[in-house]
Amino acid sequence: MKRFGLHAGLWLAVALILLPPLWVLRTSLVPESMAYSTDVFPAFSLENYQGLFGQKHFGSFYLNSIIVSLGSVILAMPFAAAMGYAFARFETGGRFGRFLVLSLQMLPPVALVLPAFAILRTVGLTQSLTGLTIVYAALNMPFLAWILMGFFEGIPVDLEWAAMTDGTTAWGAFWRVVLPVSLPGLAAAGVLGFILSWNEFLFALVLTGSKTATIPVALASLQTSNGIQIGKVSAGVVLAILPLIVASRFIQRFIVQGLTFGSVK
Amino acid sequence: MASIELRQVSKIYPGSSAGVKDIDLKIADGEFVIFLGPSGCGKSTLLRSIAGLESITAGDILINGEVVNHVAPRDRNIAVVFQSYALYPHMNVWQNMAFGLRMRGTPADEIDAKVKDAAELLGLTPLMQRRPSALSGGQRQRVALGRAIVRDPQAFLLDEPLSNLDAQLRAEMRLELVRLHRKLGRTTIHVTHDQVEAMTMGDRIFIMKDGRLIQQGPPLEVYANPADTFVAGFLASPPMNLVAGRLLAEGGGLAFVTDGLSLAIPAAYREAYAAWAGKPVIFGLRSEDFHDAPGGETFAPVTLQVEAVEALGPENIVIGRLAGSHKPVAARLSRHFGAQAGETVTLHADLMPMHLFSPDDGKAIPRPRIPDAQTRRRA
Repeated sequence: MKRFGLHAGLWLAVALILLPPLWVLRTSLVPESMAYSTDVFPAFSLENYQGLFGQKHFGSFYLNSIIVSLGSVILAMPFAAAMGYAFARFETGGRFGRFLVLSLQMLPPVALVLPAFAILRTVGLTQSLTGLTIVYAALNMPFLAWILMGFFEGIPVDLEWAAMTDGTTAWGAFWRVVLPVSLPGLAAAGVLGFILSWNEFLFALVLTGSKTATIPVALASLQTSNGIQIGKVSAGVVLAILPLIVASRFIQRFIVQGLTFGSVK
Repeated sequence: MASIELRQVSKIYPGSSAGVKDIDLKIADGEFVIFLGPSGCGKSTLLRSIAGLESITAGDILINGEVVNHVAPRDRNIAVVFQSYALYPHMNVWQNMAFGLRMRGTPADEIDAKVKDAAELLGLTPLMQRRPSALSGGQRQRVALGRAIVRDPQAFLLDEPLSNLDAQLRAEMRLELVRLHRKLGRTTIHVTHDQVEAMTMGDRIFIMKDGRLIQQGPPLEVYANPADTFVAGFLASPPMNLVAGRLLAEGGGLAFVTDGLSLAIPAAYREAYAAWAGKPVIFGLRSEDFHDAPGGETFAPVTLQVEAVEALGPENIVIGRLAGSHKPVAARLSRHFGAQAGETVTLHADLMPMHLFSPDDGKAIPRPRIPDAQTRRRA
């Protein structure tokens, strides 16, 4: 009986979390005219998805999001890795340096978006994917460096020493031993950075144009003066969530692996 | 092949008391030496300095007579075996052992042959494809050794390589390391805080404390003639019995006196200790110098209130307090010595191997050296 109560509670919690996204999925798959019907599933239709990709050019926004999110991670990762390694191994900048880097992450985005716009305008990169990619890379870098620092700190310095007596330079030890060993950490950090960029709205809204909008901006534009196109919004949300579900599966495996990989002894 | 010499080597960490100070030592080519000391005494720091993994603050490190202070670790051709083994977790056993050779650009067939040889020597052949995570502690230890051996370095530096093994495996590996050293003949420095390893493995021991080298010499010589109370206490288990008291001139001789106990100093030491008459001293006698029967003119009866008896099998360690005082004493007696806790027993202390230490700095008060007990018995 106690077990039943526990399970009921858990199911309630699951329902609270899962029902809204499930309803979004349902709304994306019924004709827009029946979106607000109280029937659970009045009719099946793919018209929302067709409309999204057809007249709304959702495919190109999707591609924009992939380019910007992936690009920013690839751009930020080497810098973040170097920064995290310097913090972890050489204590560069001491505690203050670490905190300074993290404090950048704590600034309200609104405080940064206008300066970012001004800078991009000066160099002529507003309304471009390149500009947004660079800005995302800069925004994610402190966070990535902080995560990687944790991973590097978990790698015993003995490993590098062993490599250096085995014949590598300090750089060689980093490249051949530290990086491969921290690969799960790099992957986890990369996926997190990807998700952050993927979901970002404010900078994307300010820094992109109609051709270069990312998914969050494109979805917001479906909120028109003629009302919210709820069907298409739902379809867009479903499509926006999909890669995140894949990514979180991936990240889960890698984070677990990252934790167990450290057991050198 | 390498001789290693340290001249006035210091390593100081800013804002920390750790490190090493003014270390002078010489290790001959092919010698097996032990750096012994409690944790934090600087022995690992010294080892890493010799390997080039830590820069030194002052002094010179010489390998084969050449100063190598600024030579990178990879160019010193020295192999280090770490306490944690530091196996590369993303490589299998073969790759771990081959790594050093690959970094040095050794031809593939030569790498193959060398790794195979080392694997055979260490019994690792069936494990070559495994990752370190799939190996037992003892196996990892062997891989770490193998990784050092394949490179055929001019010296091996072993940083507490046995401390993560269980007792039985440790005893096996002790013998194996000595055997390997005999076979390979390379200069070896073995860092440990284990006195059994120190006594049994090396040609010479260097004893360190608080970043300083306190005493060096062949194990038995250091054992018989500890430089101070620290060495006296550290190099044996149970440690040398140390009792504070006073040296008094008595009749024509000297006696160590403490709480109703008076022990006549052997005549051979009278001259050496004469200057300390009337002064407080620390008296030192090893647990094995207590016997259950009198044995000669240097023997003196001692009454002990037994507090505990540790029956180890081959011998009994009798722990008690000297009658009339609260000074604890441990005596190593035969397994046939049947004392029980609570009893009062009379033991016979052989005072010939005794030492006196200065209570100010703990340094041994010099006295003529005696042949150790074994040689005395044979004579």
